Amino acid sequence: MRLSICHQKWLIPLIFLTPAMLGLFLFKIYPIFLAIWESFFIESFGVGGGKIFVGWENFTLLWNDFVFWRSVRATAILTVVINPVQISLALALALLLQRRSRHIRLIRSLFLLPIGIALPIATIIWGLMLNPNDGLINAMLGIFGISRQPFLTSEDQAIWAIVAIATWKGVAFWMLFLLAGLEDIPRQLYEAVRIDGANWLQRHRYVTLPMLRRTILFVLVADTATNFVLVVPMIILTQGGPRQSTNVLMYEAYRTGFLFQDFGKSMAIVTILTSITMLVIALQVLFLGDRRGANK
Amino acid sequence: MLRKWPVIAWYVCVVIGLVITLLPFVYAAAGSLKPNHLMFSELSPFTLKAFLPGTDPVAYFNIFEKGFGRAILNTLFVSCTSVVIGLLVNSTAGFAFARFRFHGDKVLFAIVLVTFAVPAEAIAIPLFIMIRGLGWFDSFTALIVPGIANGLVIFLYRQFFAGVPNELIEAARVDGLSWWRIYWTICMPLAKPVTIGAGLLLFVFQWESYLWPLIAAPSPEHHLIQVALGRFSTEFSAIWNEQFAASTIAGALPLVFIFIYQKQFVSALTGVDLK
Repeated sequence: MRLSICHQKWLIPLIFLTPAMLGLFLFKIYPIFLAIWESFFIESFGVGGGKIFVGWENFTLLWNDFVFWRSVRATAILTVVINPVQISLALALALLLQRRSRHIRLIRSLFLLPIGIALPIATIIWGLMLNPNDGLINAMLGIFGISRQPFLTSEDQAIWAIVAIATWKGVAFWMLFLLAGLEDIPRQLYEAVRIDGANWLQRHRYVTLPMLRRTILFVLVADTATNFVLVVPMIILTQGGPRQSTNVLMYEAYRTGFLFQDFGKSMAIVTILTSITMLVIALQVLFLGDRRGANK
Repeated sequence: MLRKWPVIAWYVCVVIGLVITLLPFVYAAAGSLKPNHLMFSELSPFTLKAFLPGTDPVAYFNIFEKGFGRAILNTLFVSCTSVVIGLLVNSTAGFAFARFRFHGDKVLFAIVLVTFAVPAEAIAIPLFIMIRGLGWFDSFTALIVPGIANGLVIFLYRQFFAGVPNELIEAARVDGLSWWRIYWTICMPLAKPVTIGAGLLLFVFQWESYLWPLIAAPSPEHHLIQVALGRFSTEFSAIWNEQFAASTIAGALPLVFIFIYQKQFVSALTGVDLK
């Protein structure tokens, strides 16, 4: 009798949990470790196929590969540009939509529409709009007498065009968290500084920003992680070009694996990218997170 | 007069923001109903006609001749299967985390939370090696199975089930109901809002996936809608109206659902309650 109760205690949760946990372990956790493991092998094309253990060779090959370093550079530029741009715009939009006004629900819904649009769709439509010869944007710039811009076909502008596309798609999503954070700030705080004579800028400097600190940090970390693996616009529009200006690490990993069939090296890039991502996020939390005791 | 300025500035900002947000929707939908050459002539020089819908549906017929219908059916099949299996599998796990205490439950739940942070793109390439090893390469199995277990959906159900009153569960236990009956006949009907949000989440996740189906199932008979779209944009890059037509169809369907269930979708996706 005692045995059967004991038995039931773990058997029932086990039955309820197994399918989902098995799926998570196999398809979400295991691949991370598989990437690290596989980065120490190369695929053999000899008789029977199989893999050959090569130690650090995939990594030393990358270290000496200038394409890889250009890719690191492209990733660094994208990261430094896109995350501040998206978060500032998301915050601006949240402040804009916080206002109680007529039709505010409809206006908010319209601003949220890009969340429901898949990134490939946004990429394709914006890609055509940014077409240097026949695109809508150049036609509209023409009204203001601005000459045609090369956008995605230019080494200097391509990364900015991709930032614009990803920002159009992503800003509303990050805005939601900031809007929720704004609405949690007690109104009395604003009243208090208003009585002290603070203007618009000071109110946000001394109330909004400190009160939103945790939300902003969360959005920054999540946005950074998302943008480190931004690869769809590169696959569809630029193939890493022109002159590798948009060849970010995630695209380089994709290219190395699926265009050159070098999966060992591809996994090495994925491993490096994951490590960089974790390092950057750790630094963000360290420098922007609550410093315990610092204010007391 | 001076007090009106912030209001005017607010409206100006909202209008500018809305124009940028809505421009691609209007332009693509309008262009999808025009012959290709008309789209170019309306832009040189620019006229506002570019934003008015045309009346020629030929692009829509053409994309179906190029296999777009197949991609839609494939995506509906993959998405709906993922929703049905995914809701069942993740809700049972959420139920277990909410109602049972067992050895290691906290550690397991922490692992569920960690999986939120793993971006799908980062694991796509090792997952591909794994799927190839399992012999699932280029099959619907490869498209459906890896996406079923979802940490966010488990989390959403756990949060909801943890809030179901204990007395209700205890009373059902005293009446001799099995745990499965409690889950299925008592808890799941209560969790309808979560099921709507989570179901939509799983649906959209499949409908909008691109990198994984591109590498895991490359042959045309397994093409999902975003992959087909990507193929149009490279293979038929000069035929703009067809790309717009395909984008309009691929974009409209999830948008309709998301618009109807916006509250549930947003709260499932972000935990934010829209007021």
